[in-house]
Amino acid sequence: MIANEKDIQAFVKAHARLHVRGRGSKPALHQVDAPALDLSGLRGIVDYQPQEFTLTVRAGTALREVMAALAEQGQYLPFDPLLADSASIGGAVASNLSGSRRHRYGGARDFVLGASVVDGTGQAYTVGGKVVKNAAGFDLAKFLVGSLGRYAIMTELTFKVFPDVPQFRSLRFRYEALAAALEASYALNGSRFELDALDIVPGAVGAELLARLGGFRETLPARVEGFSQFVSKATAPQQVEVIQDESSLWDCLAGLNGPCLAKVTLAPRQLLALDAALDGANRRYTLAGNSGFVACEDAGWLDDVLARHGLRGLLLRGDVPCPLLGLPLENVLAARVKATLDPLGKLV
Amino acid sequence: MNRRFLGALSKIYPGERLLTRDVELLPYESDALTAFQTKPGAVVLPENADEVIATVRLCHEHSVPFVARGSGTSLSGGSLPIADGLTIALNRLNRIKRIDPQQRIAVVEPGVVNLHISQAAQPFGLYYAPDPSSQSICTIGGNIAFNSGGAHCLKYGMTSNHVLGMKVALADGSLTEFGGESLDGCGIGPDLVGLFVGSEGLFGIALEMTLRLLPIPELYRTVLAAFDYLGRAGDAVSRVVASGLLPGAIEIMDRLAIRAAETVGANYPDAEALLIVELEGEALQVEAEFTQLRELIEDSGAFEIRTAQNEDERARIWKGRKSAFSAVGRLSPDYIVQDGVVPRSRLGEALSQINALKRSYGLEVANVFHAGDGNLHPLILFDGREAGALRKAEALAGEILAMCVELGGSITGEHGVGVEKRDYMPAMFSEAELDIMLALRQAIDPREIANRGKMFPSGEAPALKMQGMHPLERQGLISRE
Repeated sequence: MIANEKDIQAFVKAHARLHVRGRGSKPALHQVDAPALDLSGLRGIVDYQPQEFTLTVRAGTALREVMAALAEQGQYLPFDPLLADSASIGGAVASNLSGSRRHRYGGARDFVLGASVVDGTGQAYTVGGKVVKNAAGFDLAKFLVGSLGRYAIMTELTFKVFPDVPQFRSLRFRYEALAAALEASYALNGSRFELDALDIVPGAVGAELLARLGGFRETLPARVEGFSQFVSKATAPQQVEVIQDESSLWDCLAGLNGPCLAKVTLAPRQLLALDAALDGANRRYTLAGNSGFVACEDAGWLDDVLARHGLRGLLLRGDVPCPLLGLPLENVLAARVKATLDPLGKLV
Repeated sequence: MNRRFLGALSKIYPGERLLTRDVELLPYESDALTAFQTKPGAVVLPENADEVIATVRLCHEHSVPFVARGSGTSLSGGSLPIADGLTIALNRLNRIKRIDPQQRIAVVEPGVVNLHISQAAQPFGLYYAPDPSSQSICTIGGNIAFNSGGAHCLKYGMTSNHVLGMKVALADGSLTEFGGESLDGCGIGPDLVGLFVGSEGLFGIALEMTLRLLPIPELYRTVLAAFDYLGRAGDAVSRVVASGLLPGAIEIMDRLAIRAAETVGANYPDAEALLIVELEGEALQVEAEFTQLRELIEDSGAFEIRTAQNEDERARIWKGRKSAFSAVGRLSPDYIVQDGVVPRSRLGEALSQINALKRSYGLEVANVFHAGDGNLHPLILFDGREAGALRKAEALAGEILAMCVELGGSITGEHGVGVEKRDYMPAMFSEAELDIMLALRQAIDPREIANRGKMFPSGEAPALKMQGMHPLERQGLISRE
């Protein structure tokens, strides 16, 4: 069982190839023919300073443990890591998977301040800092967000955290077509409303726009009223509904059943064309149409659809040798970082 | 400068855009950190990305070091020329290529002035959030190189948090793109945007960038509170932070900084410390937060509280703060400013140590800081005409930076390392950490030509002089935040 940095260094030195595994909540990332470096034993909160808005935690710590500790102090991880019940914090960062609440303040990259790492040569060091503001040196901590453990192994992570809001209200707007729902999300972009989340959910007929407002209990009813009136006037939805029991609405993977599940990064302008090609698959778009989750039967088919639309995807569930879908990721800058941090190509 | 190289340059640039005569080079000898001055071998003024690419390739081919610069408002000597190297001034690549209000993005060239982006986005109800106090003159390319901050970083982050995609010429002339128009940024795969932003020009030149825009807040609520003891202002900050409020800005000024602000007619209360807190967002929510904030500040022992009732009053509160640095120039012939960071809860400790240090050095220090994120800005006052005065001020500044690291912080929050703080890098990073950064630099720029001499501790020391403020600073056009 890997319990500390020294164990990791020894593992790296002992193996010609390896791949990093947290708690295994995204099985498609682990179909690699190389020994797994299992970090699920590397657990625990190292330092939490609520008054500093900073948290340092070991990479294999269960997300739910981290989130519970923050919630006790009325704080949260604003990048809203996905799979809170089964993922590790390191895995959430390495795969850059965020849920709907990422809409308000940003993704993992916007909240990772620093990391302790072991690189492909077995060397241990820290990157970034431990305070909420730091401009010294190259920001390798940000680089590692989304890097799937292929450049260096994150052993400890420091985050900026925020105070959470006391209460939420959610609204559902129905439109006769996906294009109308997308137009409605455009209309909200330059508006005065600060939404906690804004998702677009295509249905068998038409589509829904789901919006979430967070804030003080006493101001929410009036804000919800103002928001509802604005959307109704600006975008003419077929139906408006204020959802009372709203928290379950924001598990953006709920109902996305099927053997394959993938995240897609897109620009809203690409949404309609992509969605037409995804006909039949279960899907939901988060971040006002800038990110999407697709469940389908065949990962090969999805790979092909994404490549044709000039997009990239990451498979979380499904049976393919490489979880990266669509356009290839090759990049000259990334290749030079790889050659520096993992010259022997051990980390796969 | 090598004749063959100059000959090749003259094939890219007409004479008026290739500067080689002493008199033409003079304005490029320093940036806003005028303590450092070096004459470049030549300056070129490209007008499009193709010229920049051709220039970078030529520099690589001839192993000629280059510095890309915008308006040169760096406070760390980040755009200081390299002796006999090439300065590539990017100010003419100043096109805002596209504002897309529906996707909330702007696509711009590196020479675009920061504030011009917000001005172009304003008709759509949008703005570009990072607001370094030189925003009316500094360029976005420079902001990206140094990951510039501003007063509103706590809530919305620094430059890096607002860049979605880039087209880049690496130092060896290879071209690459990463990220894109999605608000998810790089989204899948490593965050190359995050790596490039803040790399201080050591990887290459950003040719085009896609930026995230935010909706203009419906309401700002700004409060100014006066205290008779600096520690009380600090306690007020702790209370605000512990309350669960998330203000857009939290700033503190000490007595000397307040006195300086008076010279620009700030009309602040006569106090030992001033606290500025700003809330922003939807009107109903902000009003409710403001009631809570006011109670907190009243309970924290402020002897006077002023609230901005309109945009004019808000601007007045900020005016003194934003011009505090250039105003310090009226109290003292010269000063240097540092921007170290400490954990917020150790601000009080840091200020006591700065007080002790200034007494032992016999120098005056004015303090202005972004209290919300622990980013100090001690201004060390001295007279550059006195022999050894600059060295003494530099030594005090060094002790302050060492203290920041000691308290668990950073040597720079938003100005970058540049030339000025490169010798303090070993205080913050271990040898292994510096080695890996250097290895990365060499993998990306094998000839080490891009902004050579910056960030890494090095033997080649540029000339260190001091003769007052930068001309633009004297006019109040730029200031050191």
